[in-house]
Amino acid sequence: MTLPARAGAGPDGAGHLSGTISPAFEELFRTEYVRVVAIAHRVLGDQAEAEDVAQDVFVSFYRSHPANAPYGPAWLHAAAAHAALNALRGRDRRSRREAAQALPVDAAAVDDPSEVVAASETRDEVRAVLGRLPERSAALLAMRYSGLSYAEIAAALDVRASSVGTLLRRAEDAFRRELR
Amino acid sequence: MNDTDIVRALGATEPQVNTEDALTRFRARVESEGIAGVAPAARRRVTSRWLQGLAAAAGVVIVASALTLSGVADSVLKIFEPKSVVAVPITQSDLNYLGQACSGLNLQDCMGAYGTFVWTTPPQPKEVQSRSQASAEAGFAVQAPTAVPSSVTGDPRYGVINRSSATFTFSADSTRQAASRQNRTAPPLPANIDGSKLFITGGPAVVQIWGAPTGHSGQGGPDIPTLIVGQAKAPTISSDGVTVDQLRGYLLSQPGVSPQLAAAIRAIGDPSSTLPVPVPAELAISHPVTVQGVQGLFVGDNTGIASAVIWQKDGMMFEVIGSFTESQALSIANSMR
Repeated sequence: MTLPARAGAGPDGAGHLSGTISPAFEELFRTEYVRVVAIAHRVLGDQAEAEDVAQDVFVSFYRSHPANAPYGPAWLHAAAAHAALNALRGRDRRSRREAAQALPVDAAAVDDPSEVVAASETRDEVRAVLGRLPERSAALLAMRYSGLSYAEIAAALDVRASSVGTLLRRAEDAFRRELR
Repeated sequence: MNDTDIVRALGATEPQVNTEDALTRFRARVESEGIAGVAPAARRRVTSRWLQGLAAAAGVVIVASALTLSGVADSVLKIFEPKSVVAVPITQSDLNYLGQACSGLNLQDCMGAYGTFVWTTPPQPKEVQSRSQASAEAGFAVQAPTAVPSSVTGDPRYGVINRSSATFTFSADSTRQAASRQNRTAPPLPANIDGSKLFITGGPAVVQIWGAPTGHSGQGGPDIPTLIVGQAKAPTISSDGVTVDQLRGYLLSQPGVSPQLAAAIRAIGDPSSTLPVPVPAELAISHPVTVQGVQGLFVGDNTGIASAVIWQKDGMMFEVIGSFTESQALSIANSMR
């Protein structure tokens, strides 16, 4: 996946600030943090890890982009999916046993221990499938199933809004095929 | 597996996050790691400057389109009619050279460095009050976007540039003199080019501007355009002898052309049907895009503050310029009806 092709502030951007976070950045953070976490959570299945990814994503944006850049939300959404998929692949490089231990199961949702085990295996497989899918397909699924609109997905992935439905169906088909 | 199953597989439970706690952690990290942030961009200044720059780049299309051939004999050979657009990177050294050669990049002065440029019917822009009036004045159906971002509000202003015409006659003497004024030696103008004429055609053109200053005091509205939409009959250039390949060869032999610009010009597959759009190499990005089912060109500044989409379809040139992301600019362009 390619992040929106935006370099740093560039020659016309203002300089760097140190120490203080601008009100504009705080507003962006408050507006987008939940959705950035949600996108990463769809990929990783782990809230703590998703929040770590979200913090890294906001730091990356803070370092090199003005808070009031019009592409801010789209950049953050794309970066959340990208960073989470990178984290997932890093996790996959570790042993399957370690990965299983790193994936807590929502035990409260299922009482039967056998269901807990089954749910855990399913979630492992889901993450493995996401890691195998093409980057854009996996990112698209994470964004859509975390609640982003077609227009927001189009902005994040730099595709036409009218193409999102088709791309999403293809990604879902690929996801189903891989999960069988 | 249906959509519900996918939702379940990807995790049905929404994460419960505390944004304020997260912001506190972010602040602490920024402070402890000494991370410097970028100050909010001075949007108005940047946007204004970049809209001017992009409007100037796109203006090449409009200006070229506003030049119209008239009264030229049938024997004249048409050597240029754009079917597509392509970016050519203009470096600072190109600008310096052109600026010296062309007295501030004025079209007439610039071409005057290589010969004699004469308007036979000069462009006369004027404002009209409605799209239908613009269509009537221009003689074609003026298209407008059917969907615009929320930042674009109000009604547009309409400008129409009439059909106009110009003739250009190459002169070896003018070329030598222009080069010597810069203490350079120009390559000799080939004999078959010296004295040959170009007849430049195009237009009319219509420009729609949202957020333009109204000219009335006390309005309190924005002082820079939020959206500029241009539409023009595609320009054509005819010649009484010289070919596009000969012109390209001569242009590339000029002493001030940077290797980057030369490479881009050489890379144009069919120079007789490709309109080069100059893009500042150090300050802007550009790449081909599909718009309205044809290949067009996206041009954006490095900060993502302003962008333009330019394309050619059915004998018309179109452009959309404003403070948009690439996808927003493309959505506007694709909504043109």
